[in-house]
Amino acid sequence: MIEDYYPWGGEFTACSPKGCVAVVLLNIQYNPPESVAIYGRLKTENIGIEKIIANTISNPYIRFLILCGDDIRGHRSGASLLALHKNGIDHNHRIIEAPGAIPYIENLKEEAIKRFQAQLNVVDLIGEKEKEKIDEIIADCARKEPSSFGEPYIAIRIKPEATVSLTDKRALHSRIIFDYLGNVKKRGE
Amino acid sequence: MFSFTKEQKVFEISGISIGGQPGMYPTVLFGGLFFKGEPDFDDAKRHILTILELSKQTGTPVIPDFFIRKVEYIQPIISLIEKVLPKKHPFSIDVIEPSIKIETLERLDEEKLLSRMIYNSIHIGITKEETEALQKHTPEMALVVAFNPKDRSPDGKIEVLENSAHLIDTGLLELARKIGIEKILIDTAALSPGENSGAAIAALPVIKEEYGLPTGCAIHNVVEKSRWLNDFPFAKKTVDVASNNAIPLFGGDYAIFGPIENAEIVIPLIAWQDILISEYAENYFGVSPIASHPRRKLLK
Repeated sequence: MIEDYYPWGGEFTACSPKGCVAVVLLNIQYNPPESVAIYGRLKTENIGIEKIIANTISNPYIRFLILCGDDIRGHRSGASLLALHKNGIDHNHRIIEAPGAIPYIENLKEEAIKRFQAQLNVVDLIGEKEKEKIDEIIADCARKEPSSFGEPYIAIRIKPEATVSLTDKRALHSRIIFDYLGNVKKRGE
Repeated sequence: MFSFTKEQKVFEISGISIGGQPGMYPTVLFGGLFFKGEPDFDDAKRHILTILELSKQTGTPVIPDFFIRKVEYIQPIISLIEKVLPKKHPFSIDVIEPSIKIETLERLDEEKLLSRMIYNSIHIGITKEETEALQKHTPEMALVVAFNPKDRSPDGKIEVLENSAHLIDTGLLELARKIGIEKILIDTAALSPGENSGAAIAALPVIKEEYGLPTGCAIHNVVEKSRWLNDFPFAKKTVDVASNNAIPLFGGDYAIFGPIENAEIVIPLIAWQDILISEYAENYFGVSPIASHPRRKLLK
């Protein structure tokens, strides 16, 4: 099941579960070969990077992360991902030396980031858009036949459950109330 | 439909007013230009003339939102503003790259256009250089985006407005005021589906009651990021356009509705929605619409 390998879900294509390569597509029109484990687009330098981390460390067979295509203007998401792998995050959860506008990692534990740094070798092909060249690098990585990193690391799992937990406080939001006349008031005032 | 207890501020820019109690001022629309591909200025001119005409017909104010992706587009976009937009019509400028933001501010100042400009946008990614450029070349109005990477709930959005969630030194509202911008529009930061996208709508009445400032968002972004809708091409445009209705219904003041190509559907749709709200708001809360409101223009 794809959900077992990639618990966060998202807009990616899962190919060979035991492939050792994950491909991050920046500004590029390219479909990697079916031999890779997973590929997908990276847009934002915060939530986008978090999803990539969660959905690569969950599959220990993935040992290479290839970034290709032109970087995303303004967001600089590709360069921010490289910075994360190299430097980690500071006390404010900001990616150290990331060039992106809002490069914060807020939904993952530091342990998950350390695991990402240890499990993945990042291949920087930012700026590269030629299919043949990228295919070649992917094949080079695959030829190395790296071993599995061990147990999967599940950083986040989205569980589809139907539950109801309603209280009056949460009619719309705990900060405001609507009275029966339709007036919005701040709670407690 | 409802009314706020907190006093609601109304800000005016080049003849367009934004904010207030639901039902008084029409919802202001922002239509985006040049978000994809190379700028097509003839096409842009045609669309701008269309929105001006539809706006006149319906009473729904529409402001063009120019996306500037490259430095070389700054000058032709400024020329377009000067040539095609009426001399007293506001516009907004959306730039991601900090260096292009700064150059755009300088050029708009030289052309004396800052009094008509809405800066899109101030957020926690603001750089020192951008802050300095804004102090030197201060736009009349700015969007402040309540994006909090730590907490995407309405509370998190308030936190980032108050103290920037401690990600930068100053809260975003204080920062905007320190720069010298008093006319602040709060953007509740619509995020992708799966990232608490509904919080952008729920935050509208919460933030308006908290600050009384004009509040809105680009709920269209959520539709654009709902990839599953690509399997329903006929419905996708309808969903995109209709998503904007949620903003005035939840008390919001403006909608950044995405590609200006959708203006011909979005403008009458929002005019219709505003009439609905205004009828109730006047009958029940005693809030009368201004003279240019769609209800006054379209219901004779």
